[in-house]
Amino acid sequence: MSPRSRWHPWVMLGPTLALLVLFFVVPIGVAVYESFFSWDLLTPARFVGGENYAALSAHGHLLGIAGRTIAYSAIVVAGTVSLGLALALLLDRPGRVFAWVRASIFSAYVVSWVSVALLWMWMLDGNGGVVGRALRGLGAGPVSLLGSVHAALPTLAVVGIWKLTGYAMIVFLAGLQSVPPALLEAAALDGAGPWSRFRHVTLPLLAPTSAFVATTSLVTSFQAFDVVRIMTQGGPARATELFVYAIYEQVFLDLSVGKASALTVVFFVLLLALAALQLRAWSARMGVDR
Amino acid sequence: MGSGACAPRRRAARRNGRVEVAFWYAYGDLVRKVLLELVARFNESQSRVWIRAVHQGDYFEALAKLRTALAAGAAPALSHVVCEVVPYLARAGVLEPLDAYEGAQAMPFVPALAQGGSFAGGSGQPTVAIPFNRSTPIAFANARTLEQEGVRPPTTWEELVSVARRLTRRASDGQVRWGFEVPISWWYWVAMVGQAGGALVDADGRPSLGGEAGEKALRFWQRLVHEEGVMRPPPGRDYQAWQSTNESFLQGRVAMMWSSTAFVRYLEDNARFPVVAAPLPRDVRASVPTGGTMFVLMRTAPDEEKQAAWEFVRWMCDVEQTITWSTRTGYMPVTRPAVERLLDRGWYVRHPNDRVAYDQLGAVAPWPWAPELFRIERDIVEPRLEEAVLTGSDARALLDEARREAERPA
Repeated sequence: MSPRSRWHPWVMLGPTLALLVLFFVVPIGVAVYESFFSWDLLTPARFVGGENYAALSAHGHLLGIAGRTIAYSAIVVAGTVSLGLALALLLDRPGRVFAWVRASIFSAYVVSWVSVALLWMWMLDGNGGVVGRALRGLGAGPVSLLGSVHAALPTLAVVGIWKLTGYAMIVFLAGLQSVPPALLEAAALDGAGPWSRFRHVTLPLLAPTSAFVATTSLVTSFQAFDVVRIMTQGGPARATELFVYAIYEQVFLDLSVGKASALTVVFFVLLLALAALQLRAWSARMGVDR
Repeated sequence: MGSGACAPRRRAARRNGRVEVAFWYAYGDLVRKVLLELVARFNESQSRVWIRAVHQGDYFEALAKLRTALAAGAAPALSHVVCEVVPYLARAGVLEPLDAYEGAQAMPFVPALAQGGSFAGGSGQPTVAIPFNRSTPIAFANARTLEQEGVRPPTTWEELVSVARRLTRRASDGQVRWGFEVPISWWYWVAMVGQAGGALVDADGRPSLGGEAGEKALRFWQRLVHEEGVMRPPPGRDYQAWQSTNESFLQGRVAMMWSSTAFVRYLEDNARFPVVAAPLPRDVRASVPTGGTMFVLMRTAPDEEKQAAWEFVRWMCDVEQTITWSTRTGYMPVTRPAVERLLDRGWYVRHPNDRVAYDQLGAVAPWPWAPELFRIERDIVEPRLEEAVLTGSDARALLDEARREAERPA
């Protein structure tokens, strides 16, 4: 099929392309340019070459941010997908009680990140919080999970999982509706037990759903900001400094547009690499399917 | 990528025939309530100027917004900023020089709290900042607990250790009453650097970060947390950590803490026990930095708005307003006549905690007039303090690293 005029595709693409260029390509270009300057918004910018990158790389700062962001995302994605799937399987039943439980779990997803963060801060308080008291009851002593250099990041990830699992569960429930009952019945007639039916029928058919949930959770977790801003401000000792928060901190709190731009560029490259990996995985899959 | 100082000027805003001045302010709770009452009183007291107070979050959030607004040419005429950022904003050329404004040179400020006394070299600069909510760090203790344990507020670092040991109690259910708590924050570290005999910059202006004293301060914190086990570093950063410390103190989970004079009234009003204030203990000497903020006018605002903003600033510095602001919050009274009137009225006899704060002004160490000061605070020192205290990293190595970074141009 060929267009009546060679301009038609461009006319159709035009509005989207213009928005993409204006709000994505141009800002990235500006960020790349500004990353070579020392600039604080108020005084004239000074060209510093790669110094912003060098300063960020010194003492493992940049690697630390990238590592923490990837670790946070890995925990959130793994937790959200597995818990969402488990809950969907558990609650894929008729009846008001199950509907109520499903709605309750999903409700966390519609609550704003700010409210979620405040709620969890209250629950995690080392002395008065529910979690703090429970840990003390288990003989753990006064534990401040958000105040611990080792526990703060996993704790934030748990909050992320809690928030996103409801969404994953709903998507998996929708996915389960599309699994033909006839296939499950046929497998049962062939002697497959519940685990075999799940492993060899349900799970393969849920693969596109899993990929969708994993991708959306990954995108959301890479954008984590509110939860860090409210619960830890990147602390303790930078233990929860993730990319988006680090960019915010550099530009708004530390007065350094150049370093924030350099961080943005590195973040962009990291996301690009992840997207390329994903595309490669998809194309490999398509190749197998063909 | 130009300078925000070159932003185009706009016409003065008006409201019902008055000049309207946007006043961006930071902080909440009691101080916000008192400030808004004063603004309302000013607006009622005359018919030329209307102050529109706009809340902008905590100090650092407000500063972020102010800088962005300056760069975008949308800044308010009036705001207030933390001391450490004044030299930077002055160098950026965004602050209105105030010496030529009516009465500016004759305002009877308490020297340690005005620009001249708050900064070493500040009096040689054009006046760009007027003291507003000024404070110093101060020690607070639960007087009942002190009495029960038979101890008095410590006057030296060593006494602080022994008193905190006595005050720390671990219950069988795991609940701990900590002897001491202080936010792991630049302001308190600067106080300790001064107490240990150091200064942030050396005589030729290089950022020494206290040298040996800076390291000693960090090691003292590490000792309190890790070796003695008498101090809990509060969770969170910036004002979240301050708030957490105050809350722990009010709930009796901490017997003694360092906080700001700004919280004197709040703590006295909300504690279910008598609160006693004390000067920060000394190491080789007594020393405290000043804190809080100063009024600043934006150079790019229309002249009419700047004049109107100045009228409000002068009004706030009048004796009555200064006294209202100070006595209802705990911030220091910033003018001498206000202090004299408080002395005459016997205020300090009835409120000994306020007296402690006022007397501590004798130990104030001025900030260096260094445009890099704020960057050094936020980007270089602050993150390393937490790292040193929480992970027990080597204090000297961390500060060496910080000094190298501070000497590198931004």
